[in-house]
Amino acid sequence: MAVTAEHGVGATENRRGFGKWMRTLGWRHLVGLIAVVFALFPAIWVVSASVNPLGTLVSQKLIPSDANLNNYRDLLRGYTDSGLQVPYKAWYLNTILVAGGAALANTFLSAFAAYAFSRMRFKGRRGGLLSVLLVQMFPQTLAFVAVFLIMIQLGDVFPAIGLGTRFGLLLVYMGGAMGVNTWLMKGFFDTIPTDLDESARVDGASQHQIFFRIILPLVTPILAVVFLLSFIFLINDVILASAVLGQGSPDNFTLSVGLFRFINDNFSLRWGLFSAGALMAGIPVLVLFMFLQRYIVSGLTQGAVKG
Amino acid sequence: MTQPGHTSTAGETGMKPEGRGRFPRPSFTVALIIKLLFLAVVNALTVFAIGPLAEANQWPGLVIVIVVTIGIDYVYLSKRTMPLKYLVPGTIFALMFQVYPVLYSANIAMTNYGTGHVLTKEQALAQLASLPSVVEEGERFKMTVVATDGGNGDLALYLVDANGDAFLGTPDGLTPVDPADVTLDDKGRVVTLGDYTSLNLGQAQGRQDELQTFQVPTDRGIITVQSLTAAVIKPSRYQYEEATGELTDVDTGTVYTQEQGTFVAPDGTKVTPGWRVYIGFDNFSEVFTSSAISGPFVRVLIWNFVFAIGSVFLTFVLGLALAMTLNHPRLKGRRLYRALLVVPYALPSFMTVLVWRGMFQPDYGVINQIFHANINWLQSAIVAKVAILLVNTWLGYAYFFLVSTGALQAIPSELTEAAEVDGASPWQAFRNVTFPLLMVAVAPLLISSFAFNFNNFNVIYLLTGGGPPIPGAQTPAGHTDILISYTYRLAFEGGGGSDFGLASAISILIFIIVAGISAISFTRTRALEELA
Repeated sequence: MAVTAEHGVGATENRRGFGKWMRTLGWRHLVGLIAVVFALFPAIWVVSASVNPLGTLVSQKLIPSDANLNNYRDLLRGYTDSGLQVPYKAWYLNTILVAGGAALANTFLSAFAAYAFSRMRFKGRRGGLLSVLLVQMFPQTLAFVAVFLIMIQLGDVFPAIGLGTRFGLLLVYMGGAMGVNTWLMKGFFDTIPTDLDESARVDGASQHQIFFRIILPLVTPILAVVFLLSFIFLINDVILASAVLGQGSPDNFTLSVGLFRFINDNFSLRWGLFSAGALMAGIPVLVLFMFLQRYIVSGLTQGAVKG
Repeated sequence: MTQPGHTSTAGETGMKPEGRGRFPRPSFTVALIIKLLFLAVVNALTVFAIGPLAEANQWPGLVIVIVVTIGIDYVYLSKRTMPLKYLVPGTIFALMFQVYPVLYSANIAMTNYGTGHVLTKEQALAQLASLPSVVEEGERFKMTVVATDGGNGDLALYLVDANGDAFLGTPDGLTPVDPADVTLDDKGRVVTLGDYTSLNLGQAQGRQDELQTFQVPTDRGIITVQSLTAAVIKPSRYQYEEATGELTDVDTGTVYTQEQGTFVAPDGTKVTPGWRVYIGFDNFSEVFTSSAISGPFVRVLIWNFVFAIGSVFLTFVLGLALAMTLNHPRLKGRRLYRALLVVPYALPSFMTVLVWRGMFQPDYGVINQIFHANINWLQSAIVAKVAILLVNTWLGYAYFFLVSTGALQAIPSELTEAAEVDGASPWQAFRNVTFPLLMVAVAPLLISSFAFNFNNFNVIYLLTGGGPPIPGAQTPAGHTDILISYTYRLAFEGGGGSDFGLASAISILIFIIVAGISAISFTRTRALEELA
């Protein structure tokens, strides 16, 4: 670096040491710090805005005076002092039920299919595996217009699962059961030695017992990762959630639709409430992600990309 | 389904019946009970579904539901369908909500489905037939408005014609009334008639809007309310001739002919509502030939590629650079850096994009405040594009940072050291040793990242909503729209209404592009090796 060259003549032993440190490690810390500021900059502003009692874009400061938790209180009780209604708790619960429920169901449906593909040899296995690959090429999100029209027709016959219902969105999400995850899990199942199956079979285990009592317990961490990846993917879904829920009651919204509509209606005045809502939604996901980071990275490199 | 001579699957049939060892029989009966409960639920749901499906005349749906249920019962009760037992549940959902929507998209893309063409032809004709003439009038009735539930429930009209015959008119039609069933007051008005009672004045005024649109269809025309005590029968305004397919406006004498799902007069006037018809590849050709649509479409398409390639490039370069910088064995705090740098990737993107949008607000946004700038970030085409790429880089670099760090750590340090011993500069060592090895692991991920960003709806829709608008565009197209956000706006946010047909046609085009990309990507991943 240029700095060290200038100090070359007459520099003390200490300074020369600093120059060397700068050349090998110091600049790395410098780059790292700049990158950390870039990474955390929006997050810090959101934390600050969420405790700012004025709660508007105009009033935001890095360190707000009279910080309090009123924004959080308002979201949790569902209305503000000025009478604005925010069904935040309902959105939160809907997200957990719909995205969580679908992610859980998809994880197990994927595991079932992956087990069949990994452990059984049957006519049509190759075709089945190819079909799963093929289906993956046509992302469900791109067919949102068709999903919207199908849900209208479904709702005409069965109002409980049609357009505007959470259960309808759950069903739509479950359409993604076969896909990347099936391949991912089949890969992990393949790494479990078949000797285990064989010895269990000798001990009198049925196919189902091998699956539920031998294989599934062994792949629990993978199930957790697949669940989390699907869950994060589904929380982030705006397009299908808007298509299915967008024209229905706000009480049925998920967080992505609800928070977007909420802040989009009045960006500058609802900034504080939005920030608090975003943090309460984001931090649990952040913690889970950090906790399972090692597994997620290995899962991601197998082909899935998080949204 | 099981092939002869298979080795790894014994299935239930190949099992030792006495079941010695650690897997005793009893647990099998538990499994059987669970299985039967599951089948009971499936069959019960089907029984519940039959009623509404039949009522709605959804016969194909009804047949499918019954056939699928029988299929499920067979698969789970037969002993020869072991693989299907594991494959069927996921497959059913995938067929219903992934494969079917994709096929249905292709179907809609061939129609003019959209605002003004939502109904089927039968529904549209029924709606036209229910429009009364505005000129001609027929027989008059003396009328009393009645309703169920003490005057608050379903409305009906008690009608007495010139001969003194009494009828009850409901939205379903006209039925004669036996005078013995009616209780009249001293002025000859109805008090009660079966479940119906007459409305008092307050109720009648409160439901005036309802009354004005209340219609009783009959063979001779439509009965509409004239005042609170009189009704009149009017002939239908439109007469449809099944044989010629022509529609005649009785009031004006205009004859309309059918044209692409609408009745059109010789002077070009259209009758609403229209209905949906198959129009072949018109939606596709419109995308490429109609100048008002193809101009903006090409701009959207170009920006879509620029956006996707730019995003992959920027996230990869930044992620790799950070990984190289921070992947030094003696660097203290590596883990902390890593944990903090992953935050943008770990937070849900739908909210962080909205946070960025708040920071980009021109008047009070943080970014303008900090740089003492007055940039209208999201309103100018170029600047909005820069903002989008910046935000997407922020969202995505951590992915390549994580992936590259992993890949770098997997490259043995002897290789770079050997290169340095051979006199290579650090750059040469990176260029010729590290980078090629890294690319082996990362190249397929670059392709899947491209495919993902090609349809990265959230960043575009939540940050700019596709805006600023492209001037002169006939459809809602913006400078920062990518195909998927453009499609979304065509379907749900068009100023002139929804155009599901055109939107689906564009989704099909995206499908083709994405499938092409995926095909390249799959040939490069391990997924296909096993099939070879």
